Amino acid sequence: MSRKTKNAIGNVIRILVLVFFFLLVVLPIYWMVSTSLKTSQEILDIGNLTYFPNEITFENYSDLFQQYDYGLLLRNSLLVSVSSALVITLMSMLGGYSLARYKFRGKQSVILFFLVTQMIPGILVIIPLYIVFSKLGLINTHVGLFIYYVAVNLPFCVMTMRSFFERIPVTLEEAAAMDGCTKTQSLFKIVFPIMFPGIISVFVFGFIGAWNELIAGSIFISTPGMWTIPVGLKTLIGKYNVEWGLLMAGGVMALLPTAIMFAAMQKFIVEGMTAGAVKE
Amino acid sequence: MKKKMQPWLFLIPVLLVLLLLFGYPLINSVIMAFQNYKLTQPDNIYFTGFENFMKLFGDSDSLMIIKNSIIYVVVSVIGQSLLGLILAVALKKQFRGRGLYQSIVFLPWAFSGFVVGLIFRWSFNGEYGVLNDILMKLGLINGKLAWLGTPGLSLAVIIIAMIWMGIPFFAIMILAALQSIPTDVYEAADVDGCGTIRQFFQITLPYIKPTLITTILLRTIWIFNSFDLIVIITAGGPANSSQTLPAYMYSKAFGTYDFGFAAALGVALMIILALYALIFLKVTKYDKAGDF
Repeated sequence: MSRKTKNAIGNVIRILVLVFFFLLVVLPIYWMVSTSLKTSQEILDIGNLTYFPNEITFENYSDLFQQYDYGLLLRNSLLVSVSSALVITLMSMLGGYSLARYKFRGKQSVILFFLVTQMIPGILVIIPLYIVFSKLGLINTHVGLFIYYVAVNLPFCVMTMRSFFERIPVTLEEAAAMDGCTKTQSLFKIVFPIMFPGIISVFVFGFIGAWNELIAGSIFISTPGMWTIPVGLKTLIGKYNVEWGLLMAGGVMALLPTAIMFAAMQKFIVEGMTAGAVKE
Repeated sequence: MKKKMQPWLFLIPVLLVLLLLFGYPLINSVIMAFQNYKLTQPDNIYFTGFENFMKLFGDSDSLMIIKNSIIYVVVSVIGQSLLGLILAVALKKQFRGRGLYQSIVFLPWAFSGFVVGLIFRWSFNGEYGVLNDILMKLGLINGKLAWLGTPGLSLAVIIIAMIWMGIPFFAIMILAALQSIPTDVYEAADVDGCGTIRQFFQITLPYIKPTLITTILLRTIWIFNSFDLIVIITAGGPANSSQTLPAYMYSKAFGTYDFGFAAALGVALMIILALYALIFLKVTKYDKAGDF
């Protein structure tokens, strides 16, 4: 075989692989979206499954807001996710800077401690916290959930922030110090602006971590008015009949914010995820 | 002196939060594991020694649930890493629209287990599910399969959903490692007449091995611990046949409020995970995984 035909075969295989993965990802998402746009008669029409909605209806979406108060769920989710992501970002900036720029005794132990927190089964932490939170009156409050989300997402975010700091040459800070900048000045005027995309992606990590969480949310919160999106939608899964059109519409609405964030920040998020792992 | 304290000053908020919210509950759980601690009997809490742990062995479903956990983790990790590797290799060469393609194909990474669970539960629905319809039209099955109501099949659906969700993470990690391989290594191999397949096994794989190891180690633990897919797709059913240890622990803790027994399960899990990490690192002779 000549080099040319070999390359051509390679290209065809590559395109087939890329098409395969595209369909693998897109088809389930399409199925969710298309179900959400169908009437319940069409969804439950046994033996006559339609691959494209006969008539497109937004009834499921309007029901979601009018009958099931999706606006309130959205507000609760936004409140908990944005606040925990903000605090995580601030703490990660401090902690990440320390781990990136200083050599000190105990640094390896701190990193090991972070790794260990990633191995702990979540439920093992949730059970004692449930008892503590009940004593402190934090069950059924957003504060309790906020505290929990900050803690579970913090280790990964600190390590990611560290690798973003490590990419900025120390010499920049040293030059700033020579020019008479204080540490705070050089951080705010030079370092933070350069790593702005990194800071945003850590915020996105924190946001997605809280936004997508179901288990702790459903344990710590039982008052319907306080539910986050996953907790509220879960109650729509009845024992006998499930309102699939409604649930799929809820799923689409739940995915939209994270999907948009990811698509917009894909390059930086990917960098953030891989920075620590690839570095030798 | 002041200089020496600086790194710790920056770390104090993080460490304080983690020690309070991981350290304290963990110690508490270990104590609870040796107690009769039922939330329904708050005045009847006492030490019982290893009784909770003995219950683990006495539970008739224990063996099946351990088997399920192993199948679920092993198949998911193998599926995700193989498919992730294939996708990453296909993405290595630059092409027009690669950024856009990645934004779409990596999307499941940002999805919640909750919504992914819903999508797969609906697609695999026995009566109205699209998958049965497709398989029947292709002539692969004769009648509708009750995917979620059949032991074995219900666990398979969970695994398929888990693999679907996890491919992007592996692809992203492996792709980054692939892109860090210097191109002149391949050029030299080409000159020496080394074929594509040999290049893959003798250059590519050794280069990405450290990344593969770290990613597999972390993902195995993460997959093992995560059970929102199970809660949403099957709730462990039918008859615990798709239950894994953490999912079972959850249903025990908040179904029966027997926190002592659930804590014992959790402590057993922690020991298993720690052993796994140790053995994995020893076998692969990789000691840098602390740097994640």
